[in-house]
Amino acid sequence: MLPSHLPIANKILASLPRSEYQRILPQLEVVQLTEGEVLCEAGALLRYVYFPCTALLSLLTLVDAVEVFAVALVGREGVTSVACALGSQYSPFRTLVQSSGAAMRMKARVFTAEFRANAALREVVLAYVLQLTMQISQTSACNRFHVIEERLARWLLMTRDRLSSDHFHMTHEMLSQLLGVRRVGVTHAAYALKQRRLIDYSRGAIDIVDGIGLQAAACSCYRMVEGRHGKA
Amino acid sequence: MTTSSLPRQNHLLAALPSAEFKRLEGDLELVPLSLGEVLYESGCKLSYVYFPTTSIVSMLYVLEDGAMAEVAIIGNEGMLGIFLFMGGETTPSRAVVQSAGWGYRLKAERLNAEFKRAGPLMRLLLRYTQALISQITQTAVCNRHHSIDQQLCRWVLLSMDRLSSDTLLMTQDLIANMLGVRREGVAEAAGKLQRAGLIRYSRGRITVLDRVGLELRACECYAVVKREFDWLLSDIPPGDPQHVLGPSASD
Repeated sequence: MLPSHLPIANKILASLPRSEYQRILPQLEVVQLTEGEVLCEAGALLRYVYFPCTALLSLLTLVDAVEVFAVALVGREGVTSVACALGSQYSPFRTLVQSSGAAMRMKARVFTAEFRANAALREVVLAYVLQLTMQISQTSACNRFHVIEERLARWLLMTRDRLSSDHFHMTHEMLSQLLGVRRVGVTHAAYALKQRRLIDYSRGAIDIVDGIGLQAAACSCYRMVEGRHGKA
Repeated sequence: MTTSSLPRQNHLLAALPSAEFKRLEGDLELVPLSLGEVLYESGCKLSYVYFPTTSIVSMLYVLEDGAMAEVAIIGNEGMLGIFLFMGGETTPSRAVVQSAGWGYRLKAERLNAEFKRAGPLMRLLLRYTQALISQITQTAVCNRHHSIDQQLCRWVLLSMDRLSSDTLLMTQDLIANMLGVRREGVAEAAGKLQRAGLIRYSRGRITVLDRVGLELRACECYAVVKREFDWLLSDIPPGDPQHVLGPSASD
């Protein structure tokens, strides 16, 4: 049983009335997630919903079982498997652990029941579904119109915001998966950002050196999503 | 264009149990939707939601520099304005009437009030949201992964499904915006489909000649989107107040 007096890392859970949070607490379990772990396959039955605390997750789309790109990042500002809230039992996305860390999880069936019964939970989850839908739409447009370097800057900033850190682990291989481009494209783009002294990287460890500069290097998509809802 | 239109021609309204439908019926206002009409502008306040019956509306996501990308096609299977019940007051998308016809509009406050009852309307609209998110996601994949004529096939098929018709008046500019290509690209893709005997395309009007052939030529994106909509709305028979989830997940 989790101590209920600790600060709540996940923002969705934190924005519930405290009494509501305490009521559902027994249904929540802390789990440690490892980078690279697949929490749910596209088209698979949803078993759990995850409220990330320090972990970072990505939602990937697939064509013919091959990954195409990520449509969203989900960190402490969010929850996975919103399909459960919306009435489906199946995930349209592959949910991948992008960055190791902790999350709280709840059985999908329990979450669905809680969502139905609990107006406060419904309100905060639906507000998140709105944000998620916008992130997916934004990414759709971004992938269509923007070039790798500015897209890369955007995703690095989105990662920074969700992990609340300028230093994190993300390989070029992982970034090429997220962006849906060949790895060589990521290497070139990352190098360009490094030349501009906006980031530094070495063996998968990324440092954001100049956050303001990186924002300027990012496409407008970063500003459009974060600007509307504030930083994660 | 016939002026006879019934709210129940919209599948969401048709799926409402009669008690819920009767509560809303008096507030549903029949409106003509003209080709090219902009129902929502990006960033505008949502005053009404729309339930198309014989028209199709394209949702376009508008970037800061004005570039637009297709997000979804909405017709008699759905509703425009889902952000409203998610707590959004404005919409980030532009909604443009792609095919003229009729629809019903409902005041935002009225929809919210009914939604907050947490009954059949809420469950229906949430399921619809799931189907729409799938469509948005699949469109993102399609735009990036598939050829223009495959995308045009998908677009024609989804439109025809929502119109319950074989003929569509197509505006090249609108479709060009949807697919993110130049108008010439649309004309060329349409020409290819015509030469393959799949459609007749003349004076802006597309008529489907070979539905099966179109489905074969389309990328899997069409089948994925269709399956999501069919599945999500299939086990709510019209008038059934019970929301049936299906076999529960085993742990």
